[in-house]
Amino acid sequence: MDRKLKLSQWIGFIILAFLILVPVLYSLGGALFCNNHLSENLKSFDSNTIKLLLNSILLAISVAFLSSFAGSILGFLLYKTDFAYRQFFKIIFLIPLFISPYIWAVAWKDFFFTLTGPTPEMQSYGDLILVQTLIYTPLAMLITGSAFAHINASLEEAGLMVFPIKKVFFKIILPLIKPALLAAFTLIFIFSISEFSVPAFYGLKVFTTEIFTQFSAFYNYNLAILQSTILVLICLLLILSEQKYLSQAPFLSVSNRGNQIKLYALKTYRFSAYAFLIFWLTISILIPFGSLTIEAFQDGYQTIFKAFELLKSTIAESFILAVTGSLISIFTGVLFAYLSWSKRTDRTSSISKLIHWTLLITFAIPSLIFGISLIKFYNRSGLYFIYGSALIIIIGYMGKYGFIAYKMIENAIRQLPYELDEVAQTEGLPRFKRLQKIIIPLITPAIFGAFILNFMLMFGDLGTSIIIYPPGTQLMPVKVFTLMANAPQSLTAALTFIVFCVTLCIISLFYIIFKKFLKPTYDCR
Amino acid sequence: MTAVKLEHIDFSYDTKPVLKNLNLTVGAKQITCLLGSSGSGKTSILRLIAGLETPQQGKIFIFDQLAAANASLFMPSYQRKIGYIFQDLALWPHMTVYQNLALGLKEQQHENYEKSIMELLDFFKLQAYANRYPGQLSGGQKQLVAIARAVVLKPKILLMDEPLANLDVKLKRQILSYIKQLKQNFDLTIIYVTHDHREAFALADHLIILNKGKIEATGKPEIIKNDQNEYVKYFIEY
Amino acid sequence: MKNIIIGLIAFLLINACQKNGPEIVVYTSVDQVFSEPILKDFEKESGIKVKAVYDTEETKSTGVLNRLIAEQNHPQADVFWSGDPIRTVVLKQKGLTRPYFSPKAKTIPEIFKDPDGHWTGFSARARVLIYNKKNFKNLPVPQSIFDLTQAIYKGKFGIANPLFGTTTFHMAALFSVLGDQKAKALLQAFKQNQVVIAASNGDIKKRVLNGALACGLTDTDDAFEAQKESNAIGLVFLDQKGNPPLGTLIMPNTVCLIKNSPQPKNGQKLIDYLLRKSTEKKLAESCAQMPLHKDVTIPKKIPSLDAIVPMSINYIQVALKLKTIQKYLKKWIEN
Repeated sequence: MDRKLKLSQWIGFIILAFLILVPVLYSLGGALFCNNHLSENLKSFDSNTIKLLLNSILLAISVAFLSSFAGSILGFLLYKTDFAYRQFFKIIFLIPLFISPYIWAVAWKDFFFTLTGPTPEMQSYGDLILVQTLIYTPLAMLITGSAFAHINASLEEAGLMVFPIKKVFFKIILPLIKPALLAAFTLIFIFSISEFSVPAFYGLKVFTTEIFTQFSAFYNYNLAILQSTILVLICLLLILSEQKYLSQAPFLSVSNRGNQIKLYALKTYRFSAYAFLIFWLTISILIPFGSLTIEAFQDGYQTIFKAFELLKSTIAESFILAVTGSLISIFTGVLFAYLSWSKRTDRTSSISKLIHWTLLITFAIPSLIFGISLIKFYNRSGLYFIYGSALIIIIGYMGKYGFIAYKMIENAIRQLPYELDEVAQTEGLPRFKRLQKIIIPLITPAIFGAFILNFMLMFGDLGTSIIIYPPGTQLMPVKVFTLMANAPQSLTAALTFIVFCVTLCIISLFYIIFKKFLKPTYDCR
Repeated sequence: MTAVKLEHIDFSYDTKPVLKNLNLTVGAKQITCLLGSSGSGKTSILRLIAGLETPQQGKIFIFDQLAAANASLFMPSYQRKIGYIFQDLALWPHMTVYQNLALGLKEQQHENYEKSIMELLDFFKLQAYANRYPGQLSGGQKQLVAIARAVVLKPKILLMDEPLANLDVKLKRQILSYIKQLKQNFDLTIIYVTHDHREAFALADHLIILNKGKIEATGKPEIIKNDQNEYVKYFIEY
Repeated sequence: MKNIIIGLIAFLLINACQKNGPEIVVYTSVDQVFSEPILKDFEKESGIKVKAVYDTEETKSTGVLNRLIAEQNHPQADVFWSGDPIRTVVLKQKGLTRPYFSPKAKTIPEIFKDPDGHWTGFSARARVLIYNKKNFKNLPVPQSIFDLTQAIYKGKFGIANPLFGTTTFHMAALFSVLGDQKAKALLQAFKQNQVVIAASNGDIKKRVLNGALACGLTDTDDAFEAQKESNAIGLVFLDQKGNPPLGTLIMPNTVCLIKNSPQPKNGQKLIDYLLRKSTEKKLAESCAQMPLHKDVTIPKKIPSLDAIVPMSINYIQVALKLKTIQKYLKKWIEN
């Protein structure tokens, strides 16, 4: 690898590490080495803590498994069949990602209460799994759907020459999207295990509520940070296992010939497919969202107008920050992924690994701990220009969600034949021109997918931003959350309704822009 | 005896017409080459025969059995006893050479399939590569594996879509020789698509020259050579 | 694309560096819907731009207090406005506050002020029992916290998580007044009577409103909000009778100046504003908080502090007590 390239990579990594990893290591260092905290706090790792940890792991595995399963069915139906309304459903099924998990938990609790009346409330682990599965299934749908759409059609057709579609699905298609399935499982596991608001709302005893308690009730930051480290280690172990099992197999498998997506006619399965989609639409969106909408309109339009008045000052700022954060994530994702791309897919440079692990650690760490780490690191003279401004929010977003964009883009690039870049090299195009003219047009769908996903997550982020938002900044999810505390139920529902409408409008606008300006990047036949 | 018969076939991709009122017959146990420039409809014909596409109008017969007619599929691909070598070979990347060959045999519950596979690997001199993945093979080796996979189920018809593209001259000759042997050893009807007239003339028992979805000429190679059709003359002289 | 990104980053940097006129940074754990209008009024009147960080008991006041502690080496906030005295006492104990004796605080009773001037109380809430009248057609409404140990209320009453928010304060006050033994016995009796532990006071309010719980302990602002939503909600100031009565816990808002803050003078102006009678009047009207000043005109439905028998506590001692009982409270929740 040439020196200039290596240097650029190192510079990029150092900047990234300084911005998001060093604050975490700084906090961790304090927790481990300051004033015998380690020895004192290690005493707190008793059997109860282990029990809570196991609880959390089991819950996360259940949620990840169910979400991946349901998501892959949705992914197949919406990306690989001739189902008539699949474009509509692709967007609609993303709705659970628009709104904070806490609000969905509230909506479901209200619904069950309406259904069963004043009976013992739902506080079971099963209900938690249900709510989190419904929230995270769209992630699995996006990841597996993208993988389904990019399978080389010839591979499937070669199978069709030998056996019927059902066998082709299990013998050819499913194994080919195995990396995507595992990626979805891992991602959702990490989201679920580090989630706090939903288990806390249901009053369940999980590891994250324990971390939160240490933090907020006992002000024992160091123990909270140590406990978070365990969480991060578990996530890292899972990722390591995934990588070892797949041996660098990619998220996506893109056709070399171009974008031939083989669609299957549903035929006799049409009724079952419709039934499943309607069922999923009902439980994931119509019921909770319907429940919120009915409450929002309980007192007519007044409550909606009031909610809009309360939130309108936050929309622009939240939008700008989320767009900026997403663009920076995409930009860095493309840059890092391209610079570490090599002909030998079995060879990952040490720099790429460092970037990967940096983004992964900050992704896996609970938002609360990450936020406090950022405060402790950036709140000092010399860095106040970051801490006291919206830049701290962007850094928070990058740390929490940069991993997703980076992985999606990295895997899209790795699926391209390296020869595409090499031929441009022989024609004298410099590196960044090749990136601009050759690579980016070919991976535009992956870039757009990563942008949309990152935007939704950043726009709805609460856990990190509530800790670090600069005084005077108004962010929509934070305002909704703080208003909810003493707002009547109808206003809370109205606020959520407004959030949903705003997010849907923005996502739809992005899709229109994307469709209008995306040109076909390769031959279809 | 007729292996494949296409009657009054109309076929379009989306709204773009590819074949219009095409009538075509392929004799059994011979090598028929479909020759024509890019976009002439050669691959479309192969895909229709394979059952991977359905004609909007017209009928397709495989050994006198109605396989498809007027947008309806009566015989799915896996029931047509057809082997297909795709242009990009389509070897399953997650399976070894052995597994690529074995999958269909296991599925159709052939007895002694291990023996069949080893015989084929022996025939193509691929024994040493049985446990390798497609990604670990050279271009020529991949080609041979694709052919082996297509014939392992002992099809009656073998469809080959530009199988010699991107191969060097020596390898091309080698594979052409294999193809001729296959026809002899397996009693195959081979439909071979190419845009290289030299390949076609070297291989074919019967030639069909296509231009924009229509048949410009059909017949034995020596007859085609003397055809006075302007397009045919232009095509084979180029 | 590159230009868009550069433009946005430039916008953010410019935004970061801009400072227009006098300003003040206030962190508050009082719900935004009540605190924001007060701060906006201050902004209008004084011309000092207020930059606020809001919080809520739903997050257990995490964002604000923990941020203040995390920022201690380089404070950003000038003023901390808390919904109860506990948090300001914690800050004082950690050495994060500085004294300020506001002239507006002269008529506020001494019990509601820190003797060293580190914090001052105003506009109080009280701990009350809210109940759904529909559930009490055949049941007597509890009048004392000890009534909740009776079998007739088994599984029918709730409290918010006692590790957080004003419920922590309430528990610490009970331990302080009753002593450890009696207080633990009370909590054990609650457990045996299947007390429901909710996520927050807001959650208690909601559950009582929809009838899932017959009654629950919460704060007066939640109680009055519940009464706005439904006529079926009643509230009781517990332990008003007895010999002597235990009394109801009174929880004033408190305000303090942060040590080494960037704008201490503006901070003092805000504190003066918050301690005014007019501010207490606004808070009484918006969220039923009881003024600590005398002669503040309040809506009829808001009880006067004089009409309530308060729990006899020392706020500083209660805050100290809290530290000693937290581990017990955690175990109590878990078992």
